[in-house]
Amino acid sequence: MKEIGELVIPGDARYAEDHEWARLEGEDVRIGINDYAQDQLGDIVFVELPQVGDTFEKGEEFGTVESVKAVSELYMPLGGEIVAVNEDLEDAPELVNQEPYEGGWMILVKPSDQAEWDDLMTKNAYLDLLKGE
Amino acid sequence: MQDSAKTTPLHGWHGKAGANMAVFGGYDMPLWYPTGAKQEHIAVLTGAGIFDTSHMAALTVEGPGSFDLLQRCFTKDLSSCIGKNKTPIEDGRCVYGIFLNRDGTTIDDAIVYRMGTTSYMIIVNAGMGGEIAVHLKTHTGSLEAEVTDLTDRLGKIDVQGPLAARILQGVIKKSGEVFQKMPYFSFKGHFDASSPLSEAVRLTNDAPLLLSRTGYTGEFGFELFMDASRLADTWEMILDAGSDFGITPCGLAARDSLRAGAVLPLSHQDIGHWPFLNNPWLFALPYNEARTDFVKKFLGDEALRTAKDVHYTYPFAGYDLRKVSTHDSARVFDSLGNEIGVVLTCATDMAIGRVGDRIFSIASPDKPQDFKPRGLSCGFIKVKSKLFSGDSVEIRDSRRSIKVMIVDDIRPDRTARRPLKDMVWKREEDI
Repeated sequence: MKEIGELVIPGDARYAEDHEWARLEGEDVRIGINDYAQDQLGDIVFVELPQVGDTFEKGEEFGTVESVKAVSELYMPLGGEIVAVNEDLEDAPELVNQEPYEGGWMILVKPSDQAEWDDLMTKNAYLDLLKGE
Repeated sequence: MQDSAKTTPLHGWHGKAGANMAVFGGYDMPLWYPTGAKQEHIAVLTGAGIFDTSHMAALTVEGPGSFDLLQRCFTKDLSSCIGKNKTPIEDGRCVYGIFLNRDGTTIDDAIVYRMGTTSYMIIVNAGMGGEIAVHLKTHTGSLEAEVTDLTDRLGKIDVQGPLAARILQGVIKKSGEVFQKMPYFSFKGHFDASSPLSEAVRLTNDAPLLLSRTGYTGEFGFELFMDASRLADTWEMILDAGSDFGITPCGLAARDSLRAGAVLPLSHQDIGHWPFLNNPWLFALPYNEARTDFVKKFLGDEALRTAKDVHYTYPFAGYDLRKVSTHDSARVFDSLGNEIGVVLTCATDMAIGRVGDRIFSIASPDKPQDFKPRGLSCGFIKVKSKLFSGDSVEIRDSRRSIKVMIVDDIRPDRTARRPLKDMVWKREEDI
């Protein structure tokens, strides 16, 4: 298991309590699970993602990630419409373990409420949350 | 880690190696190492894995009444249990069986080792040493048998996989001799240096060893019992000897997926507080040839004879790697949609896949070219109605519903029973 100091938590992303990351890309937000989550889950063997065009509220389940240990829900860090999903994960779910912030991204969302982005945690706030866990 | 959790002498090593840990059976144990459970699982099929299994509990039963005490409390008939001809247990042989309550329900499963005419070792599950010791003492009556709980006094390492013997040849003195005549479910040596048996197997660091050709993976390999004080240096020594063979430290996640694919039960999950009947492991019961009655009296026999409406436990295999979570009581439905039972175990054997109507493993000699399995969910269900191999059922948790098939066996082409002579280096200079 990685110690907190070993975790890669990029400063250019925001974080949700359920260990998703979110990164602004123009008007859209790219979303995945962070290094802490992938380390806790272990080998990820299957990722279930929504359809492009689906809309979700903040906090709603948008998919599942299946590891050798368990099946875990994925929650929307902010509400919006799915504009793209990472189809590479169908054949290579291990990308979530190998590069959680790059090739292991999960969905691209058009946010419905910009204010929800502002509610997400910065790197430091998220690390404080982890230290408390 | 929970404050109350116990640790094995390798706990520090697991932490340094970066293992993800969790409490199992009261011990803080590695779930997987940075290699990941999938590669660990595959290593045991294609090379070798090494497991710290020191959480398992050991007991001894000594004295002239030992045999009778075990005949009374353990389901296997020790007077007819070895080989096709069902000969009596002998020194150097071990057998799998169950400790039942009088009502026919399972206390725990175990392997019983005969060390001598009046001397036996029993291996039970983590945290069960005390309970089984009390159980045996309760039923000793006038028999002359002394039960000793060795919990936490022994260290145990499992080396499992087709390269296990070749790796151990590098750390066991006179391995050529040791590996002569060592069939599946036999053992040599002793963990206690004061036992005359301990001369039979010594490591190159001179630690005495009880070397057992058993395991919980379905694959070829050994379980090594030693004094707890020798665990850490022996672990390092085997890792060293195995480094050229890609020996892979494995955690409990791989142990679970390997045993599920090998149709081996997990005590208190697949067997437990219901009568030990109608399951794939009835070879543990002392049936006569016609399977109409038992050939000996034992605790729980009467309850098993008269039990009614006992649910049926079956192995299943899915069609892809998706599994259901048994934490929120996954249920089983028949083809008409009727709820018929519960899922006991659901794991993913990551080394198997379906091609047409057959399951192949990455270790299958006749696997199709370019066979790259994604894994299949598998495990055990317990249902109220009788099913047959090939029947389809749905298993369902709060999230998903999966179609699975009742099967007789899951991962094909397992290596556990391979002749040892085919699994060793033939010449000294190859070691």
